[in-house]
Amino acid sequence: MTTGEVAKAPALFLRNATGLVKGWSGFDAFAYSFMSVNLVCLGMFYSLAIFAYVPEGGAIASIVVTALGMTAMAIAYAGLIAVMPRAGGDYVWQTRILDGIPGAVLGAAFGFVAVFLVGTALALGDVATYGGGVLGGLVGAFLGIKRGGLGFVLSATGWWFILALWAPIYGFILKIEFVQPLAAVLGWKAGVDFFGTADGTFAVSIFTIVVTSGLVALGMAGYARIQRWSLYVGLIALAVMFVLMLLSSQEAFKAAYDREGLNLFGVSGAYDATIAQAASDPASAYTGSELNPLGFGEGTLLLVPFMLFFLLYPNWGSTLYGEVRGAGDFRKVLNGMLGGIWVTVALAIVFVFLAAKTFGWTFFNASNVTYVNWAYLYTDAAPVVPIWGYPPLLASYLIDSHIIQAIIILAFGAWWLGWTGTLFLSSTRMIFAAAFDRVLPEWAGRVSEGRGVPWAALVLIMVPSVVLSWFYAYDANFYPLTLDATLVIAVTFFGSSIAATILPFWKRDIYNASPVARYQVLGLPLISVAGAISTIFLGWVLYLWLTNALYGIGVGNVNSILFLGALYGAAAVLYIVARFVRRSQGVDLDAIHAQIPAE
Amino acid sequence: MRVFFATDIHGSEVCWRKFLNAGAFHKADVLIMGGDMTGKAMVPITGGNGSWRVTLQEQETVLDGEAEVAAMEKRIADRGYYPIRLSPDEMAASQTDPSLVDARFKAEMLGQVQRWMDLADERLAGKGIRCIVSPANDDIFEIDPIIAAAKLVELGESNLIDLEGLALVSTGWANPTPWNTFRELPEPELRERIDGLVKDVPDRRRAIFNFHAPPFGSNLDNAPKIGADMKYVSGGQALIPVGSHSIRDAILEYGPVLSLHGHIHEGRGAVKLGKTLSVNPGSSYEDGVLQAAIVDLDVKKAEVKRYLLING
Repeated sequence: MTTGEVAKAPALFLRNATGLVKGWSGFDAFAYSFMSVNLVCLGMFYSLAIFAYVPEGGAIASIVVTALGMTAMAIAYAGLIAVMPRAGGDYVWQTRILDGIPGAVLGAAFGFVAVFLVGTALALGDVATYGGGVLGGLVGAFLGIKRGGLGFVLSATGWWFILALWAPIYGFILKIEFVQPLAAVLGWKAGVDFFGTADGTFAVSIFTIVVTSGLVALGMAGYARIQRWSLYVGLIALAVMFVLMLLSSQEAFKAAYDREGLNLFGVSGAYDATIAQAASDPASAYTGSELNPLGFGEGTLLLVPFMLFFLLYPNWGSTLYGEVRGAGDFRKVLNGMLGGIWVTVALAIVFVFLAAKTFGWTFFNASNVTYVNWAYLYTDAAPVVPIWGYPPLLASYLIDSHIIQAIIILAFGAWWLGWTGTLFLSSTRMIFAAAFDRVLPEWAGRVSEGRGVPWAALVLIMVPSVVLSWFYAYDANFYPLTLDATLVIAVTFFGSSIAATILPFWKRDIYNASPVARYQVLGLPLISVAGAISTIFLGWVLYLWLTNALYGIGVGNVNSILFLGALYGAAAVLYIVARFVRRSQGVDLDAIHAQIPAE
Repeated sequence: MRVFFATDIHGSEVCWRKFLNAGAFHKADVLIMGGDMTGKAMVPITGGNGSWRVTLQEQETVLDGEAEVAAMEKRIADRGYYPIRLSPDEMAASQTDPSLVDARFKAEMLGQVQRWMDLADERLAGKGIRCIVSPANDDIFEIDPIIAAAKLVELGESNLIDLEGLALVSTGWANPTPWNTFRELPEPELRERIDGLVKDVPDRRRAIFNFHAPPFGSNLDNAPKIGADMKYVSGGQALIPVGSHSIRDAILEYGPVLSLHGHIHEGRGAVKLGKTLSVNPGSSYEDGVLQAAIVDLDVKKAEVKRYLLING
């Protein structure tokens, strides 16, 4: 049997039947990926604001290395989508693939590491730590050997629990990228001050939770239109910003920044003062650096976990792209995700160059580090300018008109509006899936009779979101856990990457029936090669997050480990309790995935 | 009484075989197939004299010998398509004459349903498991008599079937779709049809509705929105309710103990509508996975004791 190029004769004859559609637009696939890998809301907010912490690292190299890792992950995910189309994502893939010996091994390893880290964080001593680790390993193996358990733990944490932490992060992004800059340029000083307080942070988080829930209630069909227009408006705003930065000199920017520093915040010589503060504050001790476009300096790889804060999500909206009927559809899914990654990378690199050229690389990093140090409570010294140096705000200063500055900030708000609606949507889908699998109570999957609003699922995500928003605003120890929000999702993607790797060997029939079975690299299935690279890449990043104090989470932060332990522990306990409760009701959860023999 | 309900297997050979084995595997008393049994596509295998070519999922394969052709035919059939062997002349004729394709489609559908009924009679013999099959909107009318003629399969469509004292009422007719399929009715007429079927049920609470289309706005009917060009809107992310108002109203008015639905493959779930548990197990037939609902009923009390949505 040999294979070759697609024949020109009709490959199949179709009759008129429900559900036969002509596919979907490749642009849609790109748009979802692009808005998820959100250059403004995630990239500028965090990833591109931390270069001062690793000044010798190659900024551009770190972005490219991260994108290469994400390219492998995108291939693995496109493969999973092609093999199990319309399945609904990680939960279904993991529960269908990760079982038996691979599931048990992965579950055991995961359970051991999780409990071991918690034991270490609590300084329980070797016996309790290792003993607990072994116990955790046994529980993990139990969850892994049966289909459903490990998949539930990895997916519930990544697509439900941790999104409660993302709610205040979304709120914080809205605060420092929209509310405060807008209040500043409109001269509303009381607003700038209020939203700089814990009360202001909490208020914006609650607003975010309400808006995001409202968008879920609106339904994706309605929100899709908002997203489309947000993309267009956001791109126009970005183009305006780039043109402004391209046409302006560093001297002109310095003058504009000093002018607005005085006008809006009453600060003289704000540009030089910011650089001086970054250098003098021991928390940052950033004395300046140069952007080396081709540099791969010391610490470049340490920047990669930071870059994942925005580049981790090209697959966020890619689980419902309809039926993948052939290689063409597979390529469309893949191209959409790769477009999302690499167009964003190209824009990020352009931004980095322009920031160095117009803002000045040292000032740009100093502006970020002085704000981040203060916001993260690494220092008591408030930044010279009391709000974050949001790049679009900085660029807008180049036009000496507060009205135009406000318009630019408003237009950039489209990046948030077109992105925030999917936050709880993902959670509600995960909750539905778990409710239909009887892991959660029946009421969790109910919708209202009128508009079909998933009110119960919304409550299940809104309540923890409000609680974590309170901690985020008022508990000084909680805010530095921001990167945990990325870590937990990366763990979920790590699980799916492993599932992709073993799929052709472990679920041979399903894989062989798929359109991706034709793709091989050096005689190995492409999905396995990509999955393995993605697994190694994400595993390495997870190791860095958990072990390197640079990231403020992991073993260097007891709160981080306890928070993570609580999340994964809660998911494991929830699943185990559900098994016992359902068994007492005569419902066998193992039957959900039991393979009925065909012969 | 344990009911095993699956639907929308669209010609998947492996799913039908799993369905027939599900009774013994899951200890079900009744198997119900909710319709849309027939496939949507034929895959031509062209050639002759021991050498054949086929393109499946945009991948062309040259097949040498009967064994390779048979293996490919099984793979195609498990996916829900009809493998058809065509000589180059037959292929050329089929490309120019749609009536040949229509006739072949009909022959393949009828042939498969006949084989499936024969297999059901063989596998269910002596098992004591009842099997009810109810065609739906994608199924041609000619399959109904084939099902009715099977020894151990009962035709659901329009027949009132007693299940240990509960009345199973079935129809595969659906509210209009963009594809103008075989069994579609405007909502008022669909409601009339339902009322006509239900009027003979003495105690409506003791009824099970096996209506192919899901109730509107139930979350069992969320399908990707399609534009006028028949492409998914917003990459398939924009889900909209496309179920039947008539069926929803009938469920709320009559309050059967259980309602079984399909039609919307993405609409897997279970909801309570009034006193009725409504389920749509969804469909993933292309993967060879049989999605189904197992429902345990207390027939004395006319209550659902428990249910489970499975991927078998």
